[in-house]
Amino acid sequence: MLSHRDHNPLNIIFFTFLVEGKLKGTPLKTAKVIEREPVSSGAIMVHGLPDVGLVGVIAASHLIAELNMVEMAYLDSDALPPVAVLHEGLPHAPMRIFGDTNLLATISEMPIPANGVQLLMNTLLDWGLSKSPKLTVSIGGMPVQNRQDIDAPKVFGVASHANLLELLEKKGITVLREGYMVGPQAIILRYCAEKNMPAIALLAQSFYNYPDPEAAAAALKEFSNITGIKVDVTKLLEKGEEIRLRARDVMKRTQQELTKMKKTQEYDLPLYV
Amino acid sequence: MAEKRKRRSIFDLIREYEEELEELRQGLVLPPLEHPSWNIRECTLEPLCSIFVSSKEVIVTADLPYAKPDSVKIEPINNERLEITAEMKRKVRFEELGIIHHEGEFSTFSCQVNIPVPFDVEHMKTRFKHGVLEVRLPRKRGYRIPVE
Repeated sequence: MLSHRDHNPLNIIFFTFLVEGKLKGTPLKTAKVIEREPVSSGAIMVHGLPDVGLVGVIAASHLIAELNMVEMAYLDSDALPPVAVLHEGLPHAPMRIFGDTNLLATISEMPIPANGVQLLMNTLLDWGLSKSPKLTVSIGGMPVQNRQDIDAPKVFGVASHANLLELLEKKGITVLREGYMVGPQAIILRYCAEKNMPAIALLAQSFYNYPDPEAAAAALKEFSNITGIKVDVTKLLEKGEEIRLRARDVMKRTQQELTKMKKTQEYDLPLYV
Repeated sequence: MAEKRKRRSIFDLIREYEEELEELRQGLVLPPLEHPSWNIRECTLEPLCSIFVSSKEVIVTADLPYAKPDSVKIEPINNERLEITAEMKRKVRFEELGIIHHEGEFSTFSCQVNIPVPFDVEHMKTRFKHGVLEVRLPRKRGYRIPVE
C-alpha cells in the first residue's frame, strides 16, 4: 500500500490524474494463447521460462530439439514488449508452446516483464487447465552462492499437492520444505494448487546470473526420472560453453526483470508465526 | 481462448499507480546507455559480471566461456575500477551464432567493473573454475569508530 512518504500533495494530484485517466478507459493489458495446431489433452506440460541461470529455458530448449517437438501455440499479449523473434527469416512470438501428443513445452526467448508476469502466467495456465495436463512440470534454477564449487548440481523439488511430494521423495529428490519462491514458478505452483492441477517444480542448484547448462542437464535428468521420458543430455553438456556465450544477452535482461520481481527474496529466511 | 478482461477495482488502480510511481522513481536514476555486448572493432565480447560486497571483501565474478585459463588478466585501472580480459580458446564468428547481418569474429573477452568501495589490490586472490573467474579483493579500512 501507499507509504507515508507518498502522501504529499504532488503524489495525490498525480494519483488523481492517473485514476481519472484509467477510469476514462485506458485499455487494460490483455493476453491470449493462439493455437497453430490442435493441441491434445492429457499431455505432460513443461514450463521453461527465464529465471535464475536460465535453467528452465536451456532445459526446455534442449527438450524441444532432442524430441523434435513442433510449435503448437503461442502467447500473444500487449504486456510483452513489441518483439518478434526471427527464425529462418520468419517472425515468431517470443513465448511459444511446442509439443507432440504426450508432451507440451512452454519456452520464452525473452524475459517475462515483471509488471506483466501475473497476466501472462495466468493466461498460460488458464489455457493449460483447459488441456487437462497429466502433470505440469516447471523447470528452474535455485541460486547458490558456492555454485562454482559444485560439480554435480543437486535438484530440489516442490509440488502442488502432498501426494506429489511423496512421489518426489520416492524418486530420491529432496523436497524444499520451507522458504520463498518468487517469479513465474511461484505463480505456476499456487495456480495449480488452487485449481487442483498436479504440478511439480524441479529446481537445480545454479548460478544466479550466469547461464547454467549443467544445472539444466541435472534438472532434465530428474525430469526423466519422474516422467519416464528419456532425454539424452550429452549434447547439452557438450555445447555448454556455446550456450553460455549465446545466452549472455538474454541472461542480462532476465536479471533486470528478476530484480524488479524481488527475486532475491528467495534467499530470505522464512518467518512463521 | 477468450481475452482476459477484468473489471478494475480501486485496488487495481492503486496497484497500477504504485507500479507506475515505482517506474518513475527508477527512471529518476538514469540507467547507463544500452550498448551491444560486443565490440567488433576490438574483436571483443563483454562477459557477464557481478559484484558482491561483504563486510571484509569485494567479490567480483565474470562468466568466461571459451576463455584460456592462463590468459585471464585482472588489472586495476584506478582506485575504483578493474579491467578483466581473457583470450578465447578459439575465434567465434557471428555466423556461428546464427547472425548474418553483422560480420566479424571475436577472440577476447573484455570488461571494466566499478568497485563501489575502496579495495586492496595487493592482496587480491583469484581463481578460475568452471569457466567462471572469481576475484576476491580485501576492503581497505579507514578508521573505526569506537563504541562506548
